[in-house]
Amino acid sequence: MTSDHDRVRPDGGIDALDSPPRDVMDEEALKPETLAQNAPRLETVVQLLNRPALTRVYIYVCYWGPVAPPEIMEALDISKSTTYEYVDQLVDLGLVDRDDSTRPQQLTADPTVIVEQYAPIVITPTVLHALALQEVDEDIAYFIDRYGIGKLIAALRGAGLHFAGKTTQRMVATDIDVRETEAMMIVYALKPALAVGRDYDPFFEYLFPDVADEMDLPDLDEISNAPTHSSDLDG
Amino acid sequence: MDTDTPFSADQDVLVDANIFYAIGSPSNAQYRRFRSVVQNAGVICKLPRRVIGELGGPEADRVRTALDEGWARIIDAPSPTDGDAVAASDIAKRTIANETDQAEHEVEKADAILAGLAIQYIRDRSTAGVIVLTDDKPAKKGIENAVRAQGYTDTIAVHGLEDIIGDDSSDSIRLI
Repeated sequence: MTSDHDRVRPDGGIDALDSPPRDVMDEEALKPETLAQNAPRLETVVQLLNRPALTRVYIYVCYWGPVAPPEIMEALDISKSTTYEYVDQLVDLGLVDRDDSTRPQQLTADPTVIVEQYAPIVITPTVLHALALQEVDEDIAYFIDRYGIGKLIAALRGAGLHFAGKTTQRMVATDIDVRETEAMMIVYALKPALAVGRDYDPFFEYLFPDVADEMDLPDLDEISNAPTHSSDLDG
Repeated sequence: MDTDTPFSADQDVLVDANIFYAIGSPSNAQYRRFRSVVQNAGVICKLPRRVIGELGGPEADRVRTALDEGWARIIDAPSPTDGDAVAASDIAKRTIANETDQAEHEVEKADAILAGLAIQYIRDRSTAGVIVLTDDKPAKKGIENAVRAQGYTDTIAVHGLEDIIGDDSSDSIRLI
């Protein structure tokens, strides 16, 4: 039997499955009304994956919230009009909740997660944070430009294993098929996403079930601009 | 701060590529801190040719700066016929395979090469001891095991970046 793994493309997608995955794609899941109910969720993730600047605002609200728009402007160094534009879009997408009963308005966001076990594809706030960093980190921007988001997720997993002492950076390079230079560069560039995700992404263990507690990363308590409230659901 | 670094003058300091990635570009606070510790201790970072390649060649900013300022130098990899060096690299390779759950032949040669180089240096050239710097935990353990097996624990020490410049979290790491 041909393994599905043979068809996994470097970007994490797959060309085709041998047969329809009947165990999850049953009649219930394929009812038009069920698909319609789930439609906004897919739309949401597509928006986040394609728009790193918007994703950056979402992740900031998700991790640092509740926050007010002026805090977002200052922390992310974006203009007032851009901030309000993005917040409006995130509210429309159902990703951000706006509480208008206080002045200034308070924004919060629930963490979002998508797991597609057949590819497999895992998208958690840590992944979204990693891709949003391309807005401010030229190493991540270079990596995504060259290899795409799928490989960034692979690099994220490799970086986590590295900081847990389970792999060397040269092994990451071989495993994800990039140059050693690029692997070393991306491992360090992804450190902020791992350091914050470990404490604030409730789905962190989806990506790191084995090493979530073993990573040697900066302690957020000692970083002045780190999120401070406790939104750590499993903490 | 300088008093708690493991460096002392005249030591040979062998540096893995990941250290230079970890400290970032010359404008980074960590790069500056690393440089000042190295310069204050009066030691020179020795970078194997292979490492230089991984860093993007001698003209890459972080390498060029270090070479120009005189606190780094390029050295050759250990001779493939040097029995002690080969044995040390093999021990390191075995440890790394073990630590990472990989087959031994899957271990990258460059991850183990610093073990051989350290042994060669201490035997042939160094008078004041050798320090090996790497930011990879499995590689660090591999070199430590090789050093222990060959009886050089008094003269060869292995350290990570934190041992040199302290915890990096106080630096202005950009979180988002």
